[in-house]
Amino acid sequence: MTFLNLLAASSSQPTFPVIPALVLLPVFGAIAVALTPNARVGLHKMLATIFTGVTGAISVWLLTAFKTNSEFQFLSNQSWIKSLGIEWFAGIDGISLFLVVLTGLLFPFVIVAINPSHDHKAYYIWIQLLQTGCMGVFVSLDLFMFFVFFEIVLIPMYFLIGKWGHANAKYAATKFFLYTMFGSALMLVSIVSLAVLHSQNADTDLTFNLLEIATNPAISTNAARMLFLGFVIAFAVKVPLFPVHTWLPDAHTEAPTAGSVILAGVMLKLGTYGFIRFGLFLFPEASHFFAPLFLTLGVIGIVYGAIVATMQKDLKRLVAYSSIAHLGFIILGTFALNTQGIQGATVQMINHGLSTGALFMLVGIIYERKHTRQISELSGMQKSAPVLAGVFTLVMLSSIGLPGLNGFVGEFLILLGTFTANRWWAVVAATGVILAALYLLWAYQRVFHGPQNPEDEPTKDLTNWERLTLLPLIVGIVFLGIYPKPMLDRIEPAVDKLVSHIEDTIEDGVFTEPVPITQNRTSFSDLLMQTHESHGHNKHGDTHHGDHDEGHDSDHHGNENHSGGHE
Amino acid sequence: MTSLVWLIPGFPLIGFTLLLIFGRRLGEPQAGWLATATVSGSFLSALAVFFGLATKPPEERVYEVTLFEWIPSGELSVGMGFLADPLSIAMALFVTGVGALIHMYAIGYMHGDPKFSKFFLYLNLFVFAMLMLVLGDNLLITFLGWEGVGACSYFLISFWHEEPANATAGKKAFVTNRVGDWGFMVAMFLLFFNIGSLKYSDIFSSVIEADALTQTTATGIVVMLFIGAAGKSAQFPLYLWLPDAMAGPTPVSALIHAATMVTSGVYLLTRMNPVLAEAAGWSTDLIWIVGLFTALFAATAAVAQNDIKKVLAYSTVSQLGFMFVAVGSGLYVAAIFHMITHAFFKALLFLGAGSVIHGMHHEQDMRKYGALRKAMPITAFTFIIGWLAIAGIPPFSGFWSKDEVLLAAWNENKIAWVMLLAAAVMTAFYMSRLVFMTFFGEKRWGTSEEEAHDNETEKHEITPHESPVVMWLPLVLLSGLAAIAGLLNLPFSHDTKHLEKWLEPILFGNEVHVNASGQTKWLLAVIAIIGASVGVIAAIFVYLKNRVATSKIEHAILEDAWRFDSTVSSFMDGPGRRSFEATTWFDQNIIDGAVNGVGKITQRVSTRLRSTQTGLIRSYALGMVIGAVAIIAYFVSRMGF
Amino acid sequence: MKQITLLASQSIQTPSVAWTGLLPIVIMAAAAVLLLTICSLFPDRITTKLLSIYTALASLAALITTFPLWGKVQNSSEGPYSTLAGAFGIDGFSLFVTMLITTIVIIVCPLLSTFLERENVSGPEPYVLLLLAATGGMIMAGANDFIILFLGIEVLSISSYILVAMNSRRIQSQEAGLKYFILGAFASGFLLYGIALLYGATGSTSFTAIKAFTQQVELTNDALLLAALALLIVGLAFKVAAVPFHFWSPDVYQGSPTPFVAFMASAVKVSGFAAILRVLYVTLGEYRADWQPVIYAIAIATLLTGSLLAIVQTDLKRMLAYSSISHAGYLLVGTQAASDQGVKAVLFYLATYTFMVIGSFTVVAINAGKSGTETSLDSIAGLATKKPLLAISFTIFLLGQAGIPLTSGFFAKFYVIEAAIEEKSYMLAVIAMIAAVIGAFLYLRILVKIWLSQPTDQEDSAKLTIPFEIGLVLAISVVATMFLGIWPEPLVEMVERAIPVLVAS
Repeated sequence: MTFLNLLAASSSQPTFPVIPALVLLPVFGAIAVALTPNARVGLHKMLATIFTGVTGAISVWLLTAFKTNSEFQFLSNQSWIKSLGIEWFAGIDGISLFLVVLTGLLFPFVIVAINPSHDHKAYYIWIQLLQTGCMGVFVSLDLFMFFVFFEIVLIPMYFLIGKWGHANAKYAATKFFLYTMFGSALMLVSIVSLAVLHSQNADTDLTFNLLEIATNPAISTNAARMLFLGFVIAFAVKVPLFPVHTWLPDAHTEAPTAGSVILAGVMLKLGTYGFIRFGLFLFPEASHFFAPLFLTLGVIGIVYGAIVATMQKDLKRLVAYSSIAHLGFIILGTFALNTQGIQGATVQMINHGLSTGALFMLVGIIYERKHTRQISELSGMQKSAPVLAGVFTLVMLSSIGLPGLNGFVGEFLILLGTFTANRWWAVVAATGVILAALYLLWAYQRVFHGPQNPEDEPTKDLTNWERLTLLPLIVGIVFLGIYPKPMLDRIEPAVDKLVSHIEDTIEDGVFTEPVPITQNRTSFSDLLMQTHESHGHNKHGDTHHGDHDEGHDSDHHGNENHSGGHE
Repeated sequence: MTSLVWLIPGFPLIGFTLLLIFGRRLGEPQAGWLATATVSGSFLSALAVFFGLATKPPEERVYEVTLFEWIPSGELSVGMGFLADPLSIAMALFVTGVGALIHMYAIGYMHGDPKFSKFFLYLNLFVFAMLMLVLGDNLLITFLGWEGVGACSYFLISFWHEEPANATAGKKAFVTNRVGDWGFMVAMFLLFFNIGSLKYSDIFSSVIEADALTQTTATGIVVMLFIGAAGKSAQFPLYLWLPDAMAGPTPVSALIHAATMVTSGVYLLTRMNPVLAEAAGWSTDLIWIVGLFTALFAATAAVAQNDIKKVLAYSTVSQLGFMFVAVGSGLYVAAIFHMITHAFFKALLFLGAGSVIHGMHHEQDMRKYGALRKAMPITAFTFIIGWLAIAGIPPFSGFWSKDEVLLAAWNENKIAWVMLLAAAVMTAFYMSRLVFMTFFGEKRWGTSEEEAHDNETEKHEITPHESPVVMWLPLVLLSGLAAIAGLLNLPFSHDTKHLEKWLEPILFGNEVHVNASGQTKWLLAVIAIIGASVGVIAAIFVYLKNRVATSKIEHAILEDAWRFDSTVSSFMDGPGRRSFEATTWFDQNIIDGAVNGVGKITQRVSTRLRSTQTGLIRSYALGMVIGAVAIIAYFVSRMGF
Repeated sequence: MKQITLLASQSIQTPSVAWTGLLPIVIMAAAAVLLLTICSLFPDRITTKLLSIYTALASLAALITTFPLWGKVQNSSEGPYSTLAGAFGIDGFSLFVTMLITTIVIIVCPLLSTFLERENVSGPEPYVLLLLAATGGMIMAGANDFIILFLGIEVLSISSYILVAMNSRRIQSQEAGLKYFILGAFASGFLLYGIALLYGATGSTSFTAIKAFTQQVELTNDALLLAALALLIVGLAFKVAAVPFHFWSPDVYQGSPTPFVAFMASAVKVSGFAAILRVLYVTLGEYRADWQPVIYAIAIATLLTGSLLAIVQTDLKRMLAYSSISHAGYLLVGTQAASDQGVKAVLFYLATYTFMVIGSFTVVAINAGKSGTETSLDSIAGLATKKPLLAISFTIFLLGQAGIPLTSGFFAKFYVIEAAIEEKSYMLAVIAMIAAVIGAFLYLRILVKIWLSQPTDQEDSAKLTIPFEIGLVLAISVVATMFLGIWPEPLVEMVERAIPVLVAS
């Protein structure tokens, strides 16, 4: 599977440059906003809505145009800096597809739903540039291009936090900026080293083409491991993974609601996506080698994040720490290095985007009404704001991972995958579901249950507008919980390809024992017939007297002569 | 007709959706009737499916339908599928039947509640989830229902959430259940890992035919499933949430915390009987031992409760213990049998208690009851039937099922039988106590002003009254069932054991057959009867004749259930909380401290370096010279003389 | 023996001069002299406007003359050549640097005319000196002989000493000039002595000869040559303000008139690195094993010192001074690679950095107000509210220097790192990037002031009137920074054809 016939494979794609449109439309939007007079606030919002909205529409159209196979699609390729082999090379596969869609939809949603407190013009410019950055990361198939976008998102986010944030915003923004920049600094060195080593060992000319480098690896194991670390430190900071997570609570707490929604919904996924697309894809052996480390960190993140979340006094901080726990799950699934795990991780990225995004929206709404996020200062809001409470409950349950809501699907697949890879981690990680219930329900109780404070006036319930804006998220949460199949189907081929790509490069081949195949099992009714005929062994009694085999033998006889009769 | 199975959960779901949209507008009582109608609808469809199955020969009594694929991933494929077979339909029947009655009752009970429609919204959702649990054709759907009922019970326990205690109780229930769910999940992982499917039919076929599970694995699965079951079915030590769950409205206690949800653990283990059969002996022993202990433990606690609902709560825990004894010793039929009878009489008792509470203006303390049989005759009459049933007095249903369970214990080991008998005796005793304190003796309620100082609502004279028809009609019907349910499985001959014959196919011959002669069985039954009557008589002596001071029996330590709950919670608030706080401190000061520390160190280094910039030419020159010297020195070191 | 005869035979002939190749230098030098005479003839006719236009036109002419040369040099049939008996080379490298320097002069001229009187500097001298300094830089770029090189260095240095001290009323300016002069003389001493030793070791001052010598002769005792190398490095490191020879630059940057700072930060650095590359990489390339480690060490010291000291400053000009020190560090990283890739990277870096730094100092100059002395960090607070466009362009320059993608600064850093890694100096690359992170804090501090702080003084926004030509300068710098950030290809292609070569006459 070299990258050339991959291009051929995608020749059947539409000629319309989908990806450039996705990436560049917001920029044009930003420019358009920039060109309008400062006073025309409504116009700014309208323009931003239109441009990001169109982007969203295109991303949705992708869902239909996307062919369910493991290839990269909608490829767009354009030489950028020839002499250094740097290209604009972008494409979408099952793993990135839904992240692109999420990015496409969440931004217009946020723009419509939340108005900035001041400086509307600048706000709409930054937020659109942010969308470009995120979009670019998810579609990049060229390491240089990827890094450019990965790094560029810092600027808009820095300003969104710093300019529209709360009291301590400057500190939080700077911390966020430097922390993540430190990570990506190492990654840049790794990227260059990878490309250079690849070109030297494979003696081709310098290239940063992801597929090229990944599909014919040419660097020594040790080098690969070093470079892998260089990459994943950047991702770990971005995710953020324990113990490099402390920028997140600050950033979330200080960021404006829109910032928090985007940060949780899309930006944290840059890291997790990086782990899958670049960590695993480029360095399968190293990923396998370091998997125990990251499984451990993931599990720690889950339990630790949950514990710390339980003790938070600030509602937004609590949600931030819950994010850390959820992202621990994603890392866990990623490094399970098998289909369920990685697929679960991918699904979880989307689900976390929806649930936590919605949670931040709701916290923002509460803050608007009560002017505080201190849990201790809130009480009994369910009485006066039942709808708000109801929506909050739903989102909370999805975040807890209640089956039938989106949160469960990813979490379950992840745990399942992890279990087949490394059972004890899964067993420990599963305790995360207990803690999740603990911290969220406790917070919910303190905020919504109990008597109302007599002195403060009853809370205003959700306005129709707020209900309308929350509706898409709710629909997503429920739909993906009940019918995730379309999503899973589109994700799976890419994941399978990745998994086999990993398995090929491991010397000892298999590293998660294969699960037995469930094909052509006897149907329940046949089973009843058989047992009806060969019935009467008191197997229970047997096991009880510790004599086990007898019961089985008899059973086997039963089946054998039965099946004999069948054929 | 069996193809109607999807209708069974379908109706409540529709009801839920309608109430979600129009609930407020419907208001009282239409919302209630709508909910009742939907549940009755699913009861009827359950009946239809039941007959559909019954007409078939036993070995063909199974129908599977998959509506759509839910979670496909790699080898895993989970369908949104239903399984109608003797067990699931039996469950579905009594869930919907009892459910419908309780819905109807609730219309009366919740009269005038501001959140009337919301109550039925939750109730319908609960029934839906419960039916998913029962009818799911794979473990994951069952888990969907499993968690669903958990969530609903959370909503309903904390229904009157302005009272902090209720909210806390709801949270406690959910979290404790989650502990169980953890076990359930791990069990699913183990099964998938070894069998590659979560579908019941796949599991059974590969276990029975391909012998896919080693004994160790099977044992692990069973233990994990049991943890799950213990959480849902309130077995020791996870029973903690159930007594508190009484904070919910009484119909909820009747439906969720007596008849249906709490029995799902028993259902799960029965459903998975082929796996239990593979497991090592000790794991199944564990099940019945825990069950036995719970039965005794809870019974002792029930003796000393003064809150009428608390008595019933502990009695539920105890009765569930009985069922687990049966399951653990492989008498699944007995377990299901007792589950069904218990559903009838315990629902009846709770509703009766509810009616009393209703009549007594939400007074729950039995010490303020007495002689209510005149005030509310129907309630009293039906309640007494329920009492006799649970006490194990023939011919009422409880006797028959409990007798089978005792047989199970006997089959396991004689001491177990003795202990379980003791539990049964205590059951008879504390139930009699409840009845006497409530309906007999002299009235203790008229004069409630003096202890009404705290409570506004009780300022006026309490005048107990009979409940409206919507409330007593279900009581009557249930009392009928509680009386005759024994007919399901009379032990006299194989033909009278309808339930056993009905369930036989899905037990795959794992049902243990008690190896005891007819005489022994008769003897044991007689002993059981004697035990029950002893319990009743003792109660008469204490609570009617007042021969013995109640304080002798009702020790404080019994009243708060051997202080187990308080110990656990004090641990949670003490070391548990402190460890959490410590972690948080660690996060803020060590980890984040390190991050900010790096920043500070950089600053400090910078300020140090800054002092080199003196502004004096000579020092600059000096710096240059040092640099030059260093460079030259380096080159000198490289010179090849 | 052979060498001696060779030298002897050479010394008799009079060298032929290819005037076309020297045209840019001649133009600049002549323009300077001419300007001086004109001004002394009509002292009061000449306005500063005229002066700056004159200077700009002169350097424009010089710039234009380089184009045909560039074509000639790139033309495969002709290629690079040398003149003055191989003492001065005309190759892609020298021409590229020449273009750069002339462009710098053109851009700086408007600054001079606008800001000098604010800082009480008047008269034609600055322009003359500017032209001369540029000439010196161009000579350094093309020098193929140590004598020529030294000549160029001195022309450049002496002019810049005076430029620094230009502000006769401002004591800091005087002080800066003095410091710069003394230390500079000190450094020149090192340099000269190094040249002497090298002559002793190789028997020639001509780059070609020295290169040939180092290639052919296997020295049994290289003490002399290595000593020479050491002293040369010291001398040249001073010019580019590499640690520990950097002490002068903060004081000088802060003290001297801002337009000159802009010039020095760009042109002087350019010429300095031109010389370093010529000498170390081309001429003494044979000895790279010896000098690479030294440059490696100096690079690290420069990177860290620069960025660490920058973050604790409170004066904009000092901040930028230190940041420019750390930028010298990156350039040294490229130099240390001692490969064509490294040279390209350095040239690219110089070209892009020029625009960013001139732009930055322009903004500082504008912000510095009437007196031209308000350069404290607080003075820029709330610039975004006062002059959004100015704030945006400054932001672009700062992000560019921080190396944020889609600005030329990012690709410059990337290029340098790439070169270093190709030579397997991973550690250096990592340190460079960490220094970049530390440095980013500096730029964030300024950005916070610009965007997230309220103006300290609501008084005259009038001080922020931006004349057209200054706006033009800013626009050019912004465009260059952004364009080369998004589409660096053209410049990359150019630097690839600017690898220095030595051609004997």
